[in-house]
Amino acid sequence: MTFATLFSLANTAALGGWLLLVFLPRWRRLIGVLRFGLIFGLALTYTVLIFVYFFRIEGAGFGSIAQVRAIFMSDAGLVAGWIHYLAFDLVVGSWIALEADKRGYHRLLQAPILAATFLFGPFGLLLFYLTRATEMALSARKA
Amino acid sequence: MNLLFDGSTTLMRGQGVTGSAGLSNAGRLLIVAIGLQVALALPSFIALMFDDRLLNGITVWSKPLKFQTSLTVMLGTVLLLLPLIETTVREGRGVWLACLVGCVTASGEVLYITLQAARGRASHFNGETPIEALAYGLMGIAAVFLVLSVLAIGLFLLFRPAPDAPSGLRLGGAFGLILGSLLTLVTALALGSGRIAGPGHWVGGLPTDAGGLFLLGWSRSGGDLRVPHFFATHIMQALPIAGLFLDLLAPRLVAAGLVAAGTLSVAVVAATFAQAVAGRPFF
Repeated sequence: MTFATLFSLANTAALGGWLLLVFLPRWRRLIGVLRFGLIFGLALTYTVLIFVYFFRIEGAGFGSIAQVRAIFMSDAGLVAGWIHYLAFDLVVGSWIALEADKRGYHRLLQAPILAATFLFGPFGLLLFYLTRATEMALSARKA
Repeated sequence: MNLLFDGSTTLMRGQGVTGSAGLSNAGRLLIVAIGLQVALALPSFIALMFDDRLLNGITVWSKPLKFQTSLTVMLGTVLLLLPLIETTVREGRGVWLACLVGCVTASGEVLYITLQAARGRASHFNGETPIEALAYGLMGIAAVFLVLSVLAIGLFLLFRPAPDAPSGLRLGGAFGLILGSLLTLVTALALGSGRIAGPGHWVGGLPTDAGGLFLLGWSRSGGDLRVPHFFATHIMQALPIAGLFLDLLAPRLVAAGLVAAGTLSVAVVAATFAQAVAGRPFF
């Protein structure tokens, strides 16, 4: 399997996860499959890539922009890094979904926040934090 | 973490935080350490299937997998034998400390071995850089503490058993851990000292793992000091299993059976040790 194929596979799998999260009911089984199936699979794939390739990337490291660039200049590092995004964004997304459910947010309001998390991870998380903070402040005043 | 994994959606209902509530603290430590071994073994196994890097002529992932498997079995043996220790002692500080030392050293060993495999470098007998030399030294010290922690559990099992413990399993477990740890200490020290045939585990023969014994990788062209180390270490499983069978099949012959099994084990270790030192392959 080439890195390009692996990249597409991981991308497709993650997209599937997001579609489930946005459009399907929050069945307990479904969330379980997402967390312990899909996200687990992404984490395992990432780990294997790191085990096999990370230390072979010349000049790789986390300490300077040049070192991080070296990681992403290699196909293995790039795919691993991308899968890292995919996996962690989905973790955050599933947390947002369940927390939003708990607080009774309508699914139509959850959708843009989840979409933002899918596309620009931390931006979606920020949206959710601020939405929740506002909601908490306003409902506290009302009560 | 509570927010993320609050249990409302977990697939393993009832096995989360509450699942091990019935266990002693020592048991919980062992379970976490076993979990860590398994967590490292799974990606190591997949890596083994396609990583093309070799060390001593075989895949770099062979060694971490052997250690992960062996340490999982060892920690699992201690976990299974723990209930045979008298309750107050089992909940006490001594057993807890022995298990903590065992878990920390086993985890440290396997983390370094896995890291070095990922780096494509040797872990044992590697002093090429100052850090690797230091790490190899630390691994030696950790290995001694690991073995001593098993010895301690064996002694607890021998002198402070639970009153209702089946005698074959209890004595087999106790002597398995005691003999296993002592003979591991002897064989591993002989292996690590480099006094027998210079640094490394090969005695004569080709210094490569290529063409070695299936799965185990032992040399087939000369002596290999890993053979007696293997048999010594796995006395920790052989004797409790022998005891278990004696309990089931011949409860009256427990003492005699265990003496026979123990003698046989020591003989196998001595014979394979002599064989390796003489530079002859196991098989």
